[in-house]
Amino acid sequence: MEAFHKYFDLLELPPEAGIEAIHRNYAYLRALYSGEAIELTALHGDFSPELRQDYLSRLDDAHEKLTLLLENQKPIVTPPTARMDADVRAWIEDIAGFSGAALKSIRERMNVELDDMFSITRIQPQYLDAIENECFDSFPAEVYLRSYLIEYTRFLQLDTRKVLDDYMPRYRAWAGTRRPAPPAPE
Amino acid sequence: MWSNPYHLPTMWEPMEHSGKQGTIWAVGGGKGGTGKSFLTSSMGTYLAQKGRRTILLDADLGGANLHSFFGLTKPRHSLTDFFDKKIPLPDIVVPSGIPNLGMITGSIGSLDSESINHSQKQKLFRHIRGLDADTILVDLGAGTHINTLDTFLLADRMIVVTAPEVTALENMYQFIKSAYFRKLKSLFKTYDLNASIQETWKNRAAYGISTLKDLIQHLKEGSDHVRDIFEREMSGFVMHIVINQVRNHRDILVGENLKSICMNVLGLPVVYAGFARHDEAVQKNINAREPFMLANRLSPVTTEIKALTDNIVAGTPLSVQKDLLNGSLS
Repeated sequence: MEAFHKYFDLLELPPEAGIEAIHRNYAYLRALYSGEAIELTALHGDFSPELRQDYLSRLDDAHEKLTLLLENQKPIVTPPTARMDADVRAWIEDIAGFSGAALKSIRERMNVELDDMFSITRIQPQYLDAIENECFDSFPAEVYLRSYLIEYTRFLQLDTRKVLDDYMPRYRAWAGTRRPAPPAPE
Repeated sequence: MWSNPYHLPTMWEPMEHSGKQGTIWAVGGGKGGTGKSFLTSSMGTYLAQKGRRTILLDADLGGANLHSFFGLTKPRHSLTDFFDKKIPLPDIVVPSGIPNLGMITGSIGSLDSESINHSQKQKLFRHIRGLDADTILVDLGAGTHINTLDTFLLADRMIVVTAPEVTALENMYQFIKSAYFRKLKSLFKTYDLNASIQETWKNRAAYGISTLKDLIQHLKEGSDHVRDIFEREMSGFVMHIVINQVRNHRDILVGENLKSICMNVLGLPVVYAGFARHDEAVQKNINAREPFMLANRLSPVTTEIKALTDNIVAGTPLSVQKDLLNGSLS
């Protein structure tokens, strides 16, 4: 557990912090330390590019490790409206990929309204809708989409790992087209 | 009891010296023009309004003008008379015109240059503590002169004022760093740690040390003795950050960002006590020589200064909702 304390420390959180705080602080710190904030400009040589790189990679590592830790610990709450009968289960197992549209049809098949989902996950229906329509520009950063998607799958008792592996590459492909290409290696 | 010639019984509750020592607040921050004197006078006004017997001590070297914030002319006696003419400190205190609030004027050279030595500084602080007041606010003015830093470090509450612009932040960072290094240096000397620290720093690559934070962490983990020293000497070492002249939500976040940066780069915990927004009315009031807090009771600036003063009294931080990325506040 010693290592986990260091991760929480790096994210400037107490060890009892929950997954939301972890995502929030990660997004905050990443934006602060990877950008050109005036607070960092004021440090001049005290925060060299090497230190910055080192810090950011430790931050990424801490975020990843803590996300995994907390995802495994979290008890699964079965909402009353999302009971999965054997028929539905078999039908889901036949689904080839988890596109937004596929997720939507699963949800509808299970008679779950977006508002039901909101009442438990507290994720605004507009974001749930954006997940189903793959409106990626609704999300300020990958970490938001990822954590919302995890909540979404958990609510429907889907295999989170499987959904993420299928869904997230489309987001990354889309995000890749929006960023300038990295400089070619020398 | 106050015994200065200007003493007005209606302003000062005549009372015997309680024997209780006052709490000293020092307000520094490196850059001039960020509003240190304005905030010092306003915090003092608020504390006095709350019934705390408060004294403002103007130690601004470049231009002692705290009295102007209360529409007063420069008092006859200043700190120089305390050093040169041995006039007792209570006799230099003049009333500000606000109940419970007194003032001591500095003078050019009173705390800068080499004009006073360390024992004189300690003597001054003994006498400041001996004043019959609950809180004494010391306005340090600009700069990172050794005397300024030492005065800052002797205080019970260390307050750093800055504005959300890069030049002010540069000077403030230098000020925080210089004060912190001076504190650490005296700590290392007192406990004879210099040799082992230099040894560790020389081999820092082998230990994976790249910042001061790493160095201190390494020393604490390697020795219970060093850890105890830090716990004892540094646990109360807290700087309170105040951001003045805030113009938008991003500016409010500056204090929060500095908190993270001071910890990550220096290993120094700081508390973000609060902010005060930019308001043209402040300048107007200063020019009109009216105390802002009294003339603008309903201004958001007044509310913000009250909140940050309460935070400094209690040692609590401003609670900032970080809704991040775009730097906005929810």
